[in-house]
Order: sequence, then structure tokens, then C-alpha cells
Amino acid sequence: MGELLEGVRSCSGDCIFQHTFRTLQEHHFIQEGYSNDFAHWAFFACNENELAERLAAVDVREFISIEALRIRIVEVLEEYLGNFQQVRQRAAIEPFYFCSSSTVVLPTALVARNLQEFADALESISVHSLHYHFIEARLRLQLSSNDFSKWLGEEMGLKHAAELVNRIDIYTLTLQGVRHRILRIVESVLS
Amino acid sequence: MEPSKMNESTTAKEKSTSAHVADSIATRLAAGEMTASFIEKRKKPRTRQKLPTPARVPTLGDYEPLVSKAEVDEIRFLAEGLHRKSVKIVSAPDLESNAAEMLNRLVPLLGELEVAAQWDRLAQTEESRNVAKQLKRSLASNDSWVTKELQEFCSHGQDDNLGRLRFDEDVVVLQDLETLGLIRAKETRDQRWVWRCHLDLSRPSAETWKILKPFVEAHDAAIFSTQSFACRGSIPAYLFYPCIDPLLERNKQLEPSVIQQVCEEFGIDRSRAIVTQVSPFDRARDPLGVIDAYRIAKKYVDCQLVLAGSTSEDDPDSSVVLSPIKEAAAGDSDIILAILQPDSDTKVNAIQSASTIIVQKSVYEGFGTTVTEALWKGKPVIGSAVGGIPNQIIHKFTGALVHSVEGCAYQIRYLLTHPGLAEQLGKNGREHVKENFLVTSEVKRWLLLFHILLRVAQN
Repeated sequence: MGELLEGVRSCSGDCIFQHTFRTLQEHHFIQEGYSNDFAHWAFFACNENELAERLAAVDVREFISIEALRIRIVEVLEEYLGNFQQVRQRAAIEPFYFCSSSTVVLPTALVARNLQEFADALESISVHSLHYHFIEARLRLQLSSNDFSKWLGEEMGLKHAAELVNRIDIYTLTLQGVRHRILRIVESVLS
Repeated sequence: MEPSKMNESTTAKEKSTSAHVADSIATRLAAGEMTASFIEKRKKPRTRQKLPTPARVPTLGDYEPLVSKAEVDEIRFLAEGLHRKSVKIVSAPDLESNAAEMLNRLVPLLGELEVAAQWDRLAQTEESRNVAKQLKRSLASNDSWVTKELQEFCSHGQDDNLGRLRFDEDVVVLQDLETLGLIRAKETRDQRWVWRCHLDLSRPSAETWKILKPFVEAHDAAIFSTQSFACRGSIPAYLFYPCIDPLLERNKQLEPSVIQQVCEEFGIDRSRAIVTQVSPFDRARDPLGVIDAYRIAKKYVDCQLVLAGSTSEDDPDSSVVLSPIKEAAAGDSDIILAILQPDSDTKVNAIQSASTIIVQKSVYEGFGTTVTEALWKGKPVIGSAVGGIPNQIIHKFTGALVHSVEGCAYQIRYLLTHPGLAEQLGKNGREHVKENFLVTSEVKRWLLLFHILLRVAQN
């Protein structure tokens, strides 16, 4: 756990992104469980249930920068290891492999000029596109929002719908579930 | 060749073969070399009346019903920026079967996407094949193995192939140890060379690594099958999980009657729980440990155990392993040994499809594509936490990870008494494979890597 803390302090921002934001995408079909790789490892490789719960409670939606997210994870680890010194050196069952992401972003051919086109496009985009616009967007926008809510609020003047979309809980739904919730909100406006 | 022409020429060849056999029989009969019954058989040599129709190479559209239109559209879209790019893949002639299956799919699919892809195999001498085998063994066991043969193999082992092959493509992908020496052909700065390593290179001996390192690090990137297999080097290492083809006979959905027929052939009772391990009968897959786990579990739950697999040609002691398995299974009619021929894909598929739980209790494993295949069939899988299995089985979410015979036995009991959880694990496991371990993911990873390497995205 001590080595994990050092790794989190010194790894690249892409690394933090991979084990938090990207994990949500890679395991988007799982509805429950630990939402980031650090929490998952703390539980399954180190048997540190309390720490796992605390790390899992770090909600990526509350962060608009990777550095702020890193600081929060370091705080959780430091606090726990401060209280339980013996955990720092205890060998884990499996090592934690720090990985990082290379992101390739390309514009698709899909364009929405009105709400109906938005609903149609939302039905046909991949979960990776959904993740990019709905979850990763806050890092790009530097706002506690997402591309869909921003467009609905600013371009379509649908502030309430934008707010409802932004409140969808990504931790209790799969990404397909998120897609259906957004569609339901848009369809209720259309009808 | 057109089919009609193919048949004509085959018939002519068959006639000629038949005449030759008759002459040969007459000669050997006169010499008293052949028995009467054998002579009768040989008088009517079996000739193939019709050549089998070659299997159609799947197109991206064939995968759409399995992975969604959005996924296939995304792949097509990713390829658009790479239309005029070309890639050459070079592998050893006897590439490991899963990797060869993937290249058989990847190359035509890239072609369909208008990315010119070519797959060349090395011409390999017996000597260099032996050096490669020895090197692989030493890497697997972390033994130091530095000999003149190894140094020669790395430095000049590919001289003939370097003279024979041309490397004009935008990206050159070399597969595994045998091809490393080809990196000497890297000249232009615009070209990107990638080394695809299917082996565990995480802990080579310092002496062996000293020889391999300059060849590996001359590439622009290396690709490994799991995080735990990657070597520490100065070039970027990418993670490409091995994948399976859902359209292969081994993985496609079978008719219920076929599954039933195979179960009847092996005496598998489908009205009772079936716990299965499919793997070669070798020590690495711990078949005796599986029998022990089954015996512990059977004290509490009723089940049959099916051990299905072939004996490995590469493993000289596979027959030595099989004897104690037969001994351990003797006297228990609920342990079924299904010893299969190497081309028994339908039977493997049928046995997996009929199973209640699938086990992979390996003590050593590569990536473990038998686990991938089991997960794809929506089965709850219990696997050892070795090799690439933890990448596939997320404990309690896409299966159960175990570390011992006792742990395996407990999970068998638990899943057989909690069918709802077992079903959910199976569903999650199939989704995990759909997202990460199908050939469509493989194509997408290559396209993304080409984008990254060639920086097309930024231009």
C-alpha cells in the first residue's frame, strides 16, 4: 500500500485518468462494485475493506481536473496509512500495475441540429462516445457538467432537462442505463 | 482457380493416383510384403470426390449482430483516416494457434477497411526453430540461457529473411522472438516498427535480457498480452489482450441437437450439474487439482466433472500426466474424461455450452483464451489468479478467482447453490468479452495504435 501511495503521487495524469475515468468505461456493463481500480485493488489484493470503501467514494464527477482528483486519492491513502501504519509494508496478493491511456478523439459523422436528431444520434452512438461526452467532458469543459447538459441548456434553452441529465448517477447504472435515462428525459421533452 | 476447373484437375490427379497405387500393390504383393486384408483395402483407395468448400472469410458486417452496429460503425470510422496506410505483419511459420487465428481474421478485416495489410511468415531453419524454443523455455523459467547460438540467432539468424522480405509499409509489426532480428531492416524515420510479444517477458534473467534488449528497444513500441507480461524498457508498451473470434466453430452458437449429441457421445447427463475444465492434459492446468476440488465439492452438491482436452504435442510428459488422471478418475462414473483430437472445435463448444460451471484451475497460464471462450458462452467461470485470467475474471463480477484447490471447491459449491448469482456472473462475463476480447476489439486496438503511431489524428 505504501508503494501504491508513492505510485499515485508520482505517476502521470494519464495514469490517474486510466484507473478512474477509463475504468468506468471499461467496466461500464457492471452496475455495482468498486468504481475505480485503486479501490478494487485495496479490497481484492490487500483485503482493506475500509480503505476500499473510502477510495470508491471518491466521485470523479466532483473533479474537473486530474490533478485535483490525484490530490484527493493521495489524501485518502495518507489518512488511512497514517492510522494503520502496519498496512504500509504488508505484501499484497497481486501487484498493482500502473497503466496509462492514449486517447484518440475523432469527430463522427453524426450531428444533431434539433432535439429529435439528438435523440436519434444518442441511440446510435457507441458507449465510448457516450463516455467521452457524458463523463470525460468535465475534464475538458472544466465544469461540473457534461457535453449533453451543456448543449441542452445553452443551445436548446432546456435548463431543467440539462439539470436532470447532469444528475444521472453513473455509479448505479451501466452506460447503457445512462443512455436510456438521457433518452427518457429527451423523449419526455419531445412529447 | 474457378471451382469447375479445380474439380477437373483434381479428378485427373485422382485417376493418376489410383493407377499408381495399383502398380505399387502389384509390386509389393509379388514381394510378399502385404497381408491379404490390407491388400483388399488398398485396392479401393478412398479418393475425395469433392473438395470442401473453403469457409467464407467473415466481414465486419457479420459481427454486427453480436457487437452492435455502433461498435462496427466506430471501427469503420476509425479506419477512415488510415485509408492510404499500409502495414506488414511478420510472424514465425508456427505461430501459436490463437495468434494465428487472429491474424487470419485481422488481415482481411483491415483490407475491408482499406488499410493495406500483409502477413508474411518467416522461412525458418530447424536450427533457429530450436534456438527459439530453448529461448522461450528459458524465459518461462527465468533461467539464464546465453550461448553463442543465441547471440548468432539474434544477430544473424534472420539474414536470409532480410534478403527475401521488403519493408516498404508505413507500419511493420514483428511477432514474437523469432522475428526480432528483422529489426535490422528499420531504416526510414517515417516508418513505425512494433514488436508484438505473446510471451511473459516480465522477469527474464539479466544475462538473457542483455542480449534481447537492444533488439526490443530498437522498435517504436512493444505490445504485450497482459500488464503482468510486460518488460521494463525504454519504449512505450501497449496492452493488447488476446482475442477470440465469435464466428469460429469453437465459439458460435450451436444447435441444441448438436450439443445433445456430443453429450450423449461422452455419456454426460444433462439433467444434472456439469462442472467442466477444457484444456490440454498437462501439469500447468492441474487436472488432478480439479479432481480434488470436485471431490470436496461433491460432499455437499451433486455434480459431474468433465475434463476435456487433448494431450499436448509440445509437452513430452503429457501421457505421463494422463495416467494418474485416469487412475484418479477410476471408479467414479461421474468423472468423464473427454480426450479429444486437436480439431474437435464443435465438441469443445458443445461441452462448454452444456456445462453449468466452467473451471480453469491452472497453476501456470498464458492469457487463457479457454477462459475467454467459456465467458463468451455466458457460463460462470472459476479461474486461478495466474497469467491473463485476472484480466478476464473480475472476482465476484465476471466470475470467481481462486488460489487453491479448497477455494475452487468452495466456489463450485457456492455457485451450484446460488444459480441466480451464477447466471449474473455469466452475463457479466459475456459482456466483458464483448467489450474487450473479441476480434472486433482487436481490430479497433490496431487502428487506434496506427493512429497514435502515425499521428494521423493530429494532421
